[in-house]
Amino acid sequence: MAASGNLLTFVSADNVHIEVERDVAERSLLIKNMLEDLGEATEDIPIPNVNEPVLRKVIEWCRHHKNDPPASTEDEDSRRKTTDIDEWDQKFTQVDQEMLFEIILAANYLDIKGLLDVGCKTVANMIKGKSPEEIRKTFNIQNDFTPEEEDQIRRENEWAEDR
Amino acid sequence: MEDNAELETFRRQWREEVSRRTKPSKPEPAHPKLSRSSAAPSSHFPPTRHEASERKDEEEDGGATSVDHGEIVHGVGHLSLGVSDEDAFHSRVPRSEPKSALEHFERAVEREAEGSLGDSLHHYRKAYRLDAAVDKTYRNKHFASLWKKTAQTPASSASAGSATTTQQPTDEPTILPTPELIASFAHLPIPQAEPVIENTPPPPCPIAKVPSEVLVEILRHVAVIDPAAFCRTALVCKRLAYHFANEQHIWKRLCQGSEFGFKAMHYSFACDIHGIPEYTLGPRYTPFPRSIPVQIPEPLSSWGEVFQMFPRIRFTGIYISTVNYTRPGAASVYQNTSWNSPIHIVTYYRYLRFYPDGTVIYLLSTVEPLEVVPYISQENLKAARAISQKQHHRQGPDAASAATDTVPPVAMGALKQAHRGRWRLAKPAPASDSSEEATQGDIISEYDSLPVKAQSTGEPDPRDLVIETEGVGPKYMYLLHLSLRSVSTHKPTNSNMTPPNPSKNTKLAWKGYWSYNKLTDDWAEFGLKNDRAFVFRRVRGWGMH
Repeated sequence: MAASGNLLTFVSADNVHIEVERDVAERSLLIKNMLEDLGEATEDIPIPNVNEPVLRKVIEWCRHHKNDPPASTEDEDSRRKTTDIDEWDQKFTQVDQEMLFEIILAANYLDIKGLLDVGCKTVANMIKGKSPEEIRKTFNIQNDFTPEEEDQIRRENEWAEDR
Repeated sequence: MEDNAELETFRRQWREEVSRRTKPSKPEPAHPKLSRSSAAPSSHFPPTRHEASERKDEEEDGGATSVDHGEIVHGVGHLSLGVSDEDAFHSRVPRSEPKSALEHFERAVEREAEGSLGDSLHHYRKAYRLDAAVDKTYRNKHFASLWKKTAQTPASSASAGSATTTQQPTDEPTILPTPELIASFAHLPIPQAEPVIENTPPPPCPIAKVPSEVLVEILRHVAVIDPAAFCRTALVCKRLAYHFANEQHIWKRLCQGSEFGFKAMHYSFACDIHGIPEYTLGPRYTPFPRSIPVQIPEPLSSWGEVFQMFPRIRFTGIYISTVNYTRPGAASVYQNTSWNSPIHIVTYYRYLRFYPDGTVIYLLSTVEPLEVVPYISQENLKAARAISQKQHHRQGPDAASAATDTVPPVAMGALKQAHRGRWRLAKPAPASDSSEEATQGDIISEYDSLPVKAQSTGEPDPRDLVIETEGVGPKYMYLLHLSLRSVSTHKPTNSNMTPPNPSKNTKLAWKGYWSYNKLTDDWAEFGLKNDRAFVFRRVRGWGMH
């Protein structure tokens, strides 16, 4: 299926065709740069690393945010002010953890800075206020320290707790 | 007193029982003996050590008082934050009842330290009923470091001269220096949890599949939310410990940031003493501006160290100076019989809460931290004043009433006495080329009329802090000259142990305290005979964005 006019067609990793408006697709810097290089995209665009449900989520986000101002390059100052996640994004990230990380990986691959930020902030919020053991439980991480190593690291980093 | 006697009897009985039981098997006679020799007879148990350690903790850090790390940790045990977001001032309500023997024992120790001995005894009994050897478990948990230290001494004296280090039991593996240890974690994967039931698929661990750059991005967000949370990630697994130690740009971001970093430090006053901002045309000095390339200051070698070592005021909690002093009571009729005259022990607190906008709240009160600290804020201070004004003039903003509903009267009463103020740090000494300010002296040398001895010789100290607050009346201003200090650390005698690494610059030592009469340009010095350094304690939710 060839794209016509303003519509592009993404092909997900599991070979599902999804139609996307061009301005939505261009939230992804990877796609945007590719389209600029190609001029007019006439063929389907394969997204080999992303499967259908994830790709649909990503497109949903891009569609909602298609009118956002472009991410500024000197990121620090602008991003500092947006430590909060807006309401729509909070709802958007209420998915299971596997989906959340799939979205983060897709955003990283497709180079969608805003979405990557939202994803990382969501994970950061899951980490804050938790003890190391609680963090392990949350993310199913195994403790690979020996007790001695753990103690050593704890002592070394003690200062940052700022009790 | 009766409680105390009861407790002592119980302990004695129990000790006898234990010695009776352990004698026939005679497994490790060194342990009970040690504990007796290491402490006074009545303080056979850790609790008394606790109090002493807390007192020591308050001492000036001259290096003379070496407090064992374990003791410090334990000393603030009943006040401490715990591992997660808890703090000393909120943790009272949602406490769970102790279940295990150890938990009961810990609660008992805590209660004993608080002075409720009946309650303490109740928990001790329960603990021993559950586990007869609970005191050993307790000591291993809280005083393990102390044990190793003391256990060494008899061993070395017994072997008389033969190398003591080689005599170390082999169950203690040789420990790599921490930087090398952390470096060895560099490319380890995040380990996935094992399946709950054997031969079933393990629980999903999607974070393990995330590439480094994304992981670092997540950690950066964590760090900006709360550096302490970032610190806790280092204890999750080796890979994260590596990132914590080595992500320079995260640390640089923290240093340059205004959340916890030096962007929020003031080196000139940002407002007047009532908190009204003062605007200046020129750019404000900041040690690590974002606009130009910055260097790590001289003796330090990483941005992590800068964040740790460089003088920095914390907004995430309260600075408390606890003063205990004894005052002889009224002399009795029989002047010579001194043993009967009462002595009053007076405790009062000075509280300082700093804000990144350059304001500070200063409160001198006898109200205990637990009662007042959670409520020390600009909003509540305003509300407290509005109330007292209302009482005087029967008028005042109704905004106050909303806030007062949640603040207990004790705290509200104390807050009426709080002073608003402003703070600034001494400018770090410029790197030799100080063109504009050639004569930079001590931070208080700017107060021309202040009669301080040796004012001219005062060297600028980047750890110096000046606070100006409101005084008792509108014509007075109080000037506090403080200096940032670190809690003294103790180098463990056991070379295999990593030394503790407590927070730096979290104490505020007094350097001077004056009252200034604006009308007469008069300075009066407040004596600091009883005054102790301020110690920082985190408070949940403060200073978070």
